Amino acid sequence: MAAKIIMPEPPSSASSDSDVEETQADFSEVFPDCEVEEEKSGDFYNTPASPITVPYCPRPPSTGSQKSPKSRRQRTTSLNQQSKKTATESMIRTQHRTIYTAGRPPWYNSEGQKVVPFIIGICGGSASGKTTVAEKIIESLGVPWVTLLSMDSFYKVLNEQQHEIADRNEYDFDHPDAFDFDLLTQTLQRLKEGRKVEVPIYNFMTHSRESRTKTMYGANVIIFEGILTFHHPKVLEMLDMKIFVDTDADVRLARRLRRDISQRGRDLEGVIKQYTGMVQPSFNHYIAPLMVHADIIVPRGGENEVAIQLIVQHVHTQLQLRGLKLREELMQANAYIGQARPDTVRLLPTTPQIRGLHTFIRNKDTPRDEFIFYSNRLIRLVIEYTLSLMSFNEKLIESPQGVPYSGKRMSTNKICGVSILRAGETMEQAVCDVCKDIRIGKILIQTNLQTGEPELYYLRLPKDIKDYKVILMDATVATGAAAMMAIRVLLDHDVAESNILIVSLLMAELGVHSIAYAFPKVQIVTTAIDPEINDKFYVIPGIGNFGDRYFGTEPADEC
Amino acid sequence: MGSVEVDIFNGFEYSKKYDSLKVLHAHDQIKELQSILRDRNTSRSDFKFYADRLIRLVIEESLNQLPFTDCKVVTPTGATYNGLKYKSGNCGVSIVRSGESMEQGLRDCCRSIRIGKILVESDAETHEARVVYARFPEDISQRHVLLMYPIMSTGNTVSKAVNVLKEHGVKEECIILSNLFCTPAAVQTVLDSYPKMKILTSEVHPVAPNHFGQKYFGTD
Repeated sequence: MAAKIIMPEPPSSASSDSDVEETQADFSEVFPDCEVEEEKSGDFYNTPASPITVPYCPRPPSTGSQKSPKSRRQRTTSLNQQSKKTATESMIRTQHRTIYTAGRPPWYNSEGQKVVPFIIGICGGSASGKTTVAEKIIESLGVPWVTLLSMDSFYKVLNEQQHEIADRNEYDFDHPDAFDFDLLTQTLQRLKEGRKVEVPIYNFMTHSRESRTKTMYGANVIIFEGILTFHHPKVLEMLDMKIFVDTDADVRLARRLRRDISQRGRDLEGVIKQYTGMVQPSFNHYIAPLMVHADIIVPRGGENEVAIQLIVQHVHTQLQLRGLKLREELMQANAYIGQARPDTVRLLPTTPQIRGLHTFIRNKDTPRDEFIFYSNRLIRLVIEYTLSLMSFNEKLIESPQGVPYSGKRMSTNKICGVSILRAGETMEQAVCDVCKDIRIGKILIQTNLQTGEPELYYLRLPKDIKDYKVILMDATVATGAAAMMAIRVLLDHDVAESNILIVSLLMAELGVHSIAYAFPKVQIVTTAIDPEINDKFYVIPGIGNFGDRYFGTEPADEC
Repeated sequence: MGSVEVDIFNGFEYSKKYDSLKVLHAHDQIKELQSILRDRNTSRSDFKFYADRLIRLVIEESLNQLPFTDCKVVTPTGATYNGLKYKSGNCGVSIVRSGESMEQGLRDCCRSIRIGKILVESDAETHEARVVYARFPEDISQRHVLLMYPIMSTGNTVSKAVNVLKEHGVKEECIILSNLFCTPAAVQTVLDSYPKMKILTSEVHPVAPNHFGQKYFGTD
């Protein structure tokens, strides 16, 4: 049961530190082709698993550019923080990447439908402190999943002629025409829908996009910052909250001077020429008028604690209204009492054999050896039963006896298994024993011990999973929170709802109803349904922690 | 072709009067397994793979026929579960050679079960079945016996085997035949002679896939 797996210490990573290099290699090996594939079909559904890799993209000293050369700041990141303190600790930094290892909390409500993220737009002149404001908001919000998107990623690719102009310091990077607004709106829209996006990485040396892109996911809160964030009406429409950072022109110039001269080794005259010739006129002409769209104007940028607290409060209120307390909500969903069991439930006939197996695995005194043996038998039965729910075609068989036999053949051979780590993995062997060469995907969902919410940590699925019937495996289902997250992941990968079968050994009545209500076409296969769940989300009478008992990792003081 | 269909119908019709004949719930999945086993184009590795799957299902179902008692157990959460417990004192007996294909399936379900063997050969000239070899656990007379034989077309072999078991003191009502394919004629032969024993099969069909043993063991 994924829900009860012991959560790693918040700062520690899903993969151990020594695995960092390996993990990366793994990802760059596996993800690229699958992403290319998805890109071709135009279906970027979110693959919301951490570790997220954020390629490190140093902005080279932009000697030739009119745009103020920014320091090597990471401008576009997916932050995934438990709290202020762990924000940095839950990342692994290597030379080229930052890997975020905290899990993704639910991005859908208790009915399995996606919740629209809250999008904050931050606008303001160059060097006005937009990024500082964004960072302070993220810090004070304490929301587990925030995506920070920067407008800098969307500069247009320059042609040769423009390139030359840029070399002569005469290309206006502060003009709206310098941005690719089509791609920008498209990207923001996808993020808003909770889908996965590929954000371009702009190279300020070559003024073109690098061949690699940065993968980002929809989040509970998305912060979009840039000098012209309010310029495009479509973008404006998508923003739930509009913040304008208004810093005095003198302060901005002073900051630019300090940044460019001390950090970039550029001369005073050149910087001032740039500033007066393009940056300041552009600000007056295009950026300053955008202030009218703002909900909040933050004077003095990041130093303005009062303004930031106000913003954070408002965002909190909004998030609460949208409701993301999932498991609790599921627990309270007692509406099922007295209702008939949903007709998508496929309960194995309770034969003496099944009851006998349950007796063994439920008994707390069963030694592990027997526990594993009898669990495996029960798993085999439930998997065989699951296969019988597939659709079959009539087929006339030629037999060696020379008499034709009217038989059946399964109408599809595209079946794959997806196990919910860890307990679901116990069922993989049985699936492999029953289906030759079956593909197996894995999803790691763990319970955040602080919030009690399930969080998505890891995901690896067959490339073309949308064409498959998916046998989703978890040994036990209590509230159904982890199962629902897994189903949501599959749906986000374009698997048809009717092609999903959630298979388990034991379910609680509550979980069955929650899943059936949220996903009415998903078939629910199990060998027993227990009436209750206790306050620790264990099924009563239940099996206990199936994963711990199977793998022998139960804490010494229990059992 | 038409006549075959009628025969199937008859087969089911007349097996119904035997209460001790149990046919595995014939859902599509089992039908598919049967189709693969009957298909002459199935490769040997596939044949063995799917035969083992069907055997496992038949064995699991056979175990349902064994006696049990109610029992209560305490789960790790401290709650009580009303379960059941199988009585000890069962054993398996396979009829050599094809019955041995089912031994592994039984082993996979009951790790330490005792398994006896019977070798029945039919005389090449008279076609009369004759017991050549039999070896059982000593206290077999006290036990429930799961007799394993996958294909039954005439029922003669099984009749002989049951006879031997009875000679060793096994009660007729304690014998359960685990079978994959049998013909209506075989059901009739066996149950008319031994009405108290049980037959559990996956299919009753006038044509039995007699190539089973040859193909399973690769001696075809």
